[in-house]
Amino acid sequence: MDMREIVFLHTGTSDRLGHLDHDAVRACVEPLDMYELPDTDLSAYRAMIVTGGVDQELLWRERDAIRRFLDAGRVLLFSGHLVRPWLPGIGLFVPREIRSHRDYAVRIAAPHPIFAHVREEDLTMRQGLAGFFARGHNPPPDGVEVLLELPGGEPIVYIDRVSTGGTMLVHSGGDLLGWGIERIYEGGPPITSAVHIPGQMLDWVLAEAGRLETARA
Amino acid sequence: MRRLAATYNGSAAQHRALHEPKYRRWLDRLVYLPELADADLDDLDGLLVTERLHRAKFDAAAGRVLGVLERGATVIFLLGGPPPEWLPGARWEARFRSEQGNWMPTWFLHPGDGLGLRAADPEHPFLRRVPVENATWHHHGVLWPPEGAQPVIVTRDGASVIYLDRVSTPGTLLVATLDPIYHFGSYFMPACERFLDGFLPWVVEELLEDAGDGLSRAAR
Repeated sequence: MDMREIVFLHTGTSDRLGHLDHDAVRACVEPLDMYELPDTDLSAYRAMIVTGGVDQELLWRERDAIRRFLDAGRVLLFSGHLVRPWLPGIGLFVPREIRSHRDYAVRIAAPHPIFAHVREEDLTMRQGLAGFFARGHNPPPDGVEVLLELPGGEPIVYIDRVSTGGTMLVHSGGDLLGWGIERIYEGGPPITSAVHIPGQMLDWVLAEAGRLETARA
Repeated sequence: MRRLAATYNGSAAQHRALHEPKYRRWLDRLVYLPELADADLDDLDGLLVTERLHRAKFDAAAGRVLGVLERGATVIFLLGGPPPEWLPGARWEARFRSEQGNWMPTWFLHPGDGLGLRAADPEHPFLRRVPVENATWHHHGVLWPPEGAQPVIVTRDGASVIYLDRVSTPGTLLVATLDPIYHFGSYFMPACERFLDGFLPWVVEELLEDAGDGLSRAAR
């Protein structure tokens, strides 16, 4: 079978997703209009990327297909607030109570290749503003690998290898694929150490998919 | 109470904002975007078009949305970006910078900076519910409305961020370049909550009420 790499569910808005034009992203990420999901054979893909802007009523209706995709040993990356329970084992988004900008401070809970060379302050701050990265968390089940957390210990990025036969990377904020490389308007935002995230994440997603494929072979 | 429905696109942000009780109470119902093209909207006094909709699905429903205007009722567009090509009358111009040339969403981090928004007519009843400062976070761009439309909040060079158009169609068209549903629903930008707190009651209690008098005379 012709194996494709990573499918990215596109929300189909007029927002320009500049990061999809990056060479490293284009090499392995294929955008798919979200409303084509029900008619798409997911078994052709090694991994799937979904954001919180995707129609989660649609994802809820497609939850069995998503579950089958994961149980077939695939990788799913979700960045966003989970508002419908379509992601196996993951709890609905819980906002953090914000009293000051310090409540948004991101802490690296455990070193991981996805965030290698990335400074915590470049996760917390963007263009001088805190809060872009995460404003709450999608509660994980026991046994996940927590990579990043908020000051109250809320896990905001984690890897779940316990809920399904595949691997989920769950982030409670904006699209990790575009983090640090999104230049949708002239002049900003500046390049910081966060620029490493998308490439390192894609490397990890493909390596994880390979690990799962090897384990099942 | 006048009957207002809102489009709902299933995104996390719209799920939160449109289910928030203090906003949901102003809405007769939510119309799920993939069902909009076939939805019965004939009973509505107004339709609130929420931001960042799937373009093809929304374009497929253009006839339904324009039909609301054709029978003299009201459509409110919250855009957060360029309008659909079939929006009657307006010309869009994207803008990214604050008055001092900073990236627009960060204007408040720079002392003395601002967006330069002002009331076109300080006596407009909209401003009693939504003062200009509650419409000031970032506006993505501006619209140059058609001749005869009524600007409500404008930039220094006179372009509209919010305007009312009762000339392009038999109905009432309110268009804003702002995206309060998206930001409130994303737990970001406190001004958006203050905007919505005043905006939705104004729409239902004043805008639809006034337009509804005309509607009952003309069409009912």
